[in-house]
Amino acid sequence: MSTDLHAPPVLSTPAEYIFQDPTPSSALSSENRPDRSDDELFTVYEIARTAAEIQARNWSRVALQFPDAMLADAPWVVGALDTELGKLQYSEGNSAAESIEQGAGALEEAQRKQKRNIRLYILADTSYSACCVDEIAAEHADADAVVHYGRACLSPTARLPVLHIFTRQALDYDAIAESFGQEFNGKETKAIIMADVMFQEHVAPICERLKAQGYNHIVATEIIRDPSSTIPNRSLPSLDPASAEKHDYDLHEYHLFHISTPPTSLLLSLSSRLASLRLYPTPSSPYTTTTSLPDPSATPSMLRRRYALVLRLTTASIIGILVNTLSVKNYMSTISTLREQIASAGKKSYTIVVGKLNAAKLANFAEIDGWVVVGCWESGLVDQDGLFKPVITPFELALAMQGDESRIWTGEWWGGIEGVKSEANPNTESTESQETVQKETAENIDGGVDEEESEPPVFDLRTGKLVSNSRPMRVAIRSSPPAGNAMQPNSGITRTQPNGSALVKRGTGEIALVNGVASPGAEFLRSKRTWQGLGTDFNPGEDEESAVIEEGRSGVARGYIVGEEQMRS
Amino acid sequence: MVNFTIDEIRLLMDKPTNVRNMSVIAHVDHGKSTLTDSLLAKAGIISTAKAGDARATDTRADEQERGITIKSTAISLYGTLPSPEDIKDIVGQKTDGTDFLINLIDSPGHVDFSSEVTAALRVTDGALVVVDTIEGVCVQTETVLRQALTERIKPVVIINKVDRALLELQVSKEDLYQTFSRTIESVNVVISTYLDKALGDLQVYPEKGTVAFGSGLHGWAFTIRQFAIRYAKKFGVDRNKMMERLWGDNYFNAHTKKWTTKGTHEGKQLERAFNQFILDPIFKIFSAVMNFKKDEVATLLTKLELKLPTEDKEKEGKQLLKAVMRTFLPAADSLLEMMIFHLPSPVTAQRYRVETLYEGPPDDEAAIGIRDCDPKGPLMLYVSKMVPTSDKGRFYAFGRVFSGTVKSGIKVRIQGPNYTPGKKEDLFVKAIQRTVLMMGGKVEPIDDMPAGNIVGLVGIDQFLLKSGTLTTLDTAHNLKVMKFSVSPVVTRSVQVKNAQDLPKLVEGLKRLSKSDPCVLTSTNASGEHVVAGAGELHLEICLKDLEEDHAGVPLIFSDPVTQYRETVGGKSSITALSKSPNKHNRLYMVAEPMDEELAKTIEDGKISPRDDVKARARILADDFGWDVTDARKIWCFGPDGTGANLLVDQSKAVQYLNEIKDSVVSGFQWASREGPIAEEPMRSVRWNILDVTLHADAIHRGGGQLIPTTRRVLYAAALLAEPALQEPVFLVEIQVPESAMGGVYGVLTRRRGHVFAEEQRPGTPLFTIKAYLPIMESFGFNADLRQGTSGQAFPQMVFDHWQLLPGGSPLDRTSKVGIMVEGMRKRKGIKVEVPDVSNYYDKL
Repeated sequence: MSTDLHAPPVLSTPAEYIFQDPTPSSALSSENRPDRSDDELFTVYEIARTAAEIQARNWSRVALQFPDAMLADAPWVVGALDTELGKLQYSEGNSAAESIEQGAGALEEAQRKQKRNIRLYILADTSYSACCVDEIAAEHADADAVVHYGRACLSPTARLPVLHIFTRQALDYDAIAESFGQEFNGKETKAIIMADVMFQEHVAPICERLKAQGYNHIVATEIIRDPSSTIPNRSLPSLDPASAEKHDYDLHEYHLFHISTPPTSLLLSLSSRLASLRLYPTPSSPYTTTTSLPDPSATPSMLRRRYALVLRLTTASIIGILVNTLSVKNYMSTISTLREQIASAGKKSYTIVVGKLNAAKLANFAEIDGWVVVGCWESGLVDQDGLFKPVITPFELALAMQGDESRIWTGEWWGGIEGVKSEANPNTESTESQETVQKETAENIDGGVDEEESEPPVFDLRTGKLVSNSRPMRVAIRSSPPAGNAMQPNSGITRTQPNGSALVKRGTGEIALVNGVASPGAEFLRSKRTWQGLGTDFNPGEDEESAVIEEGRSGVARGYIVGEEQMRS
Repeated sequence: MVNFTIDEIRLLMDKPTNVRNMSVIAHVDHGKSTLTDSLLAKAGIISTAKAGDARATDTRADEQERGITIKSTAISLYGTLPSPEDIKDIVGQKTDGTDFLINLIDSPGHVDFSSEVTAALRVTDGALVVVDTIEGVCVQTETVLRQALTERIKPVVIINKVDRALLELQVSKEDLYQTFSRTIESVNVVISTYLDKALGDLQVYPEKGTVAFGSGLHGWAFTIRQFAIRYAKKFGVDRNKMMERLWGDNYFNAHTKKWTTKGTHEGKQLERAFNQFILDPIFKIFSAVMNFKKDEVATLLTKLELKLPTEDKEKEGKQLLKAVMRTFLPAADSLLEMMIFHLPSPVTAQRYRVETLYEGPPDDEAAIGIRDCDPKGPLMLYVSKMVPTSDKGRFYAFGRVFSGTVKSGIKVRIQGPNYTPGKKEDLFVKAIQRTVLMMGGKVEPIDDMPAGNIVGLVGIDQFLLKSGTLTTLDTAHNLKVMKFSVSPVVTRSVQVKNAQDLPKLVEGLKRLSKSDPCVLTSTNASGEHVVAGAGELHLEICLKDLEEDHAGVPLIFSDPVTQYRETVGGKSSITALSKSPNKHNRLYMVAEPMDEELAKTIEDGKISPRDDVKARARILADDFGWDVTDARKIWCFGPDGTGANLLVDQSKAVQYLNEIKDSVVSGFQWASREGPIAEEPMRSVRWNILDVTLHADAIHRGGGQLIPTTRRVLYAAALLAEPALQEPVFLVEIQVPESAMGGVYGVLTRRRGHVFAEEQRPGTPLFTIKAYLPIMESFGFNADLRQGTSGQAFPQMVFDHWQLLPGGSPLDRTSKVGIMVEGMRKRKGIKVEVPDVSNYYDKL
């Protein structure tokens, strides 16, 4: 744009913008993609192992899920897998033929196998995040199983079996050993070696190498599918193979050496569990899309910012539950637990599915004061930059709903839905306020107001002010309203009489109560929105005058009549 | 023993004409609490012997320890006029009997606690201004007087520490008279400067009895009236006439036995009547006692018809002096007399105070109730502060009944400061559990309390943060929110040592923000709990309370930090444009700096979003040179809907504009709360909406498209308009003898201070230096100054204004400001670089 507007702005949007994806794309630009030989790709995508698994597990319709960065290789992978599967079936068919004498049953099976036509589907453009298995998309293809390529959050799935192909990446062991030596100078350092799933196969060799160099207290990690373990998705070998006890590590003594860039949510989760975190940044591979290196020393300040978000939610009156997964196990039960938690804190919740998150989608719900995201543990950490209202994780929500009397922030953090307990959240309503409520009914001094007593407001730690509408649903929880109190004359809100049959005229600006509670959404519309639909902003006598009504034409097309005038030609 | 009962007090409450609500205000260390003691001694609350040393209204341990008052303390006293004759002297107001109820509030003098003074003034009608004979009218004297006058509080003056002038400085009678009249003169200058015409003449005159002289420490004081009564009999003249003669250029010519206004008789200097008849006996007593002339003392005593108790007769020196003077001129008598005669009763005061007190129309039920101080009217009660109870975490709501009667158990509407009639926001209903009478550190239960009295309320503390209006009338507007002369600008962040203690800290912060009218506790976006106070001392006391009392757990405090504001230095170089995520909507805006005067006016609440649009537009056009059409199209204030940033609609004929207003306003509140430079609040910026293009379908121009876009375009406009930071600046007033002035200048220059006024206090070697000092540089200033002047300079610092932070652009990473911004961003855990304008600005 030039220094000033010379012409009126173009009112239509140029065509090239219309289908642009507003979310930052994670796809790799094509010039970055190195040419790779088939052999190389064959090993990277572990074609042989995949084919063997598919064959062994008897899957006939298989969905292949690729992250955006690998999508370009997808057709090649399908082709290679097809060939490989064909080879396998052929060899199996042969072996089946050889053992034909062994029995009729075996023969039948072999024939069935031979007939089996294995179909492969490519899943692209995942609905939520690339690290999760997109079961819904797979079910659209009626797949038996999903093969997930690339890095994964390993969240347990509910419906379909999954084969994770992390893809094999090369790694320079010498560089790692050197970097390790720089990070830790004492040979007695207690360190845990961990790698991103894509580099997992290198962990054991590296450990061996380091042990050979004289580092005695090196522990290698192994992958397990359990995001809620101490180190998410990793297990530690037992210190003493003989002892049956599983965890004999005091992790606070150990440093973690992480190969490749971990997702930020992993950094936050681990920062309170281990002594320190060191990173070995892998050379940017075509398949790892994050380029910026997170700074482990910044995690405390990141955690503090999360705490600030938690505090913002404590005084929210409406909380949106953002469903960001449809595949992680227990997501349904988590949603209902969150609903309970929110309700027992006297707040209103709405459950909303928007697909991939972005600022525009969330800002459409201006009524909602904050969001909690139900998703896998890696995508639970949502970057707040540009978001209108805070988005927090279920773990953080539990803290926010806990009430100021018991909230403790130790720096522990978790991004996923695992560990959301449906424990009956002790109602934070202080006993004294209940006492006073009872007292109030006992005595009623003349000359006072005859309205119902209000709930005490909540102190907003963020602004240092009192907030009165942070528990809009509290009344409904407390008790059903007393019978004699059906109408509140002065409140501007009428209560719908439960069994009255007479029609009651509703005053302007009044909101109907449902179970004694005015809907917070309606209240928002009434008090915060100035625009409430067409015509509400019409202000007669201000600047616009409506046109004078004139009599128009009438008659048929052959000849209209205009006003008093007679026939016109 | 206390010489009155609660029942007696309760009876007096029903006669509002015989109630006096007054606060004691003054500069720090001028002797407010000490003087208050003598009143308490008179009422029998403390023993006469202790009066002057006990400072009984300093109820906190640290107040006693430091020797300064921190919290204002209320106490009720019973006063009686010696004879029904005296009632005649009460001019201009009705009285019923000779018994009076005095509700007295002792307030702190240090400038950091002046919010306590404001809270005290609100509930009283009169003020006893204490001025030190030697130091005269000081900075804080002026400040509190100004506050009192804007609240329409009537002042009377006592010139304190006269004993020091006599004992230490050994001044002559005429010099003392000159000092007195000079001090009174300067008080009157202040009074006439801030005079509210509705109140009439409020200047103080010794000859009218509105000025007393005395010594709080020794427990004596006098007004001219007292002497006039003595001499009226002797001279056989009317006492009022006598009063006039005992002050000013009036002389008694012993030769002609006539009163004259000429100072000489046949070339010889006559002695001024004040000196001759009033100061002379006092000087004689002083010299007799201090020179240990026992006989002379005895003759003087008989002459003055004074009888000393036997145990006092044994005393010598200062102790004897104290005893004699206390018997001769008891301080309490003259103070009581001054209050009863010259301070207004609630009935008198509320008649003229109602317009400044009440926000609503002057003729509604509540206003009339207040005007008439009607105990049968609708309840109107203003809670001005919260006082901690012995029960930890609970508070008495301390306030004044302006209309109606408050009683235990009554259900009231509690209207917070943001309440607007007809809306439900900031409105609560609650029954008052108990009403109490505040008696210094103690309370006395009382069943009900009619209009005109000061009361403590139990059971509503949860509904009020600091102050609020209590009423039984559902159409009542608020009583005006108090305006403090100090702002919480010095901050420190607080952290628990032990994570398990967090709930206690949180609870402590809640209590702390209740317990002080000014302190602000908040949490910033980087998750730190922040406590903000008016000055270093205030903050120190607050944090000490927090750690030891409110939270009771070990805490870690950061160093004091200042807050910054983001602003712009010029107009946006080009029109900023941002497109919505779907590219179908475009916003065009420019940012420009707002007049500093205007920003201040908004912050003072003189221009607010609640004003009538047309009236506000008029003020903006007349006083600030705005275009009237612009001024009428202010969309909103921000942040928080009240801050000093404005969004102005300058677009023409944009369809659907009303529909997106809410979204744009939300985006504006968001952007102005966290600016683009370092997520600090923005200030003094005006954004103009130049043009808007919107998609024709409502669904494509919803909040989701426009709220984030508004923020982006506001940021882009601000980044294009020479963004800058503002820092808060203290106004420092330093009293220093001439010899140490060099040191003061040295310290100020080192700390980027800027001296703009320097004047000598008449009649003293003391100078007053006024300077602006950035708050960032003020930490440790006191200690530095003490060192630089060997303890001879006394600074008073109070927040004055915001100024641009010098040292380059925040966008330039190598400049001083740029480095500072980087540090701030790093501490906050956000990306270190300030985002470039291209992040927010879209190409067409």
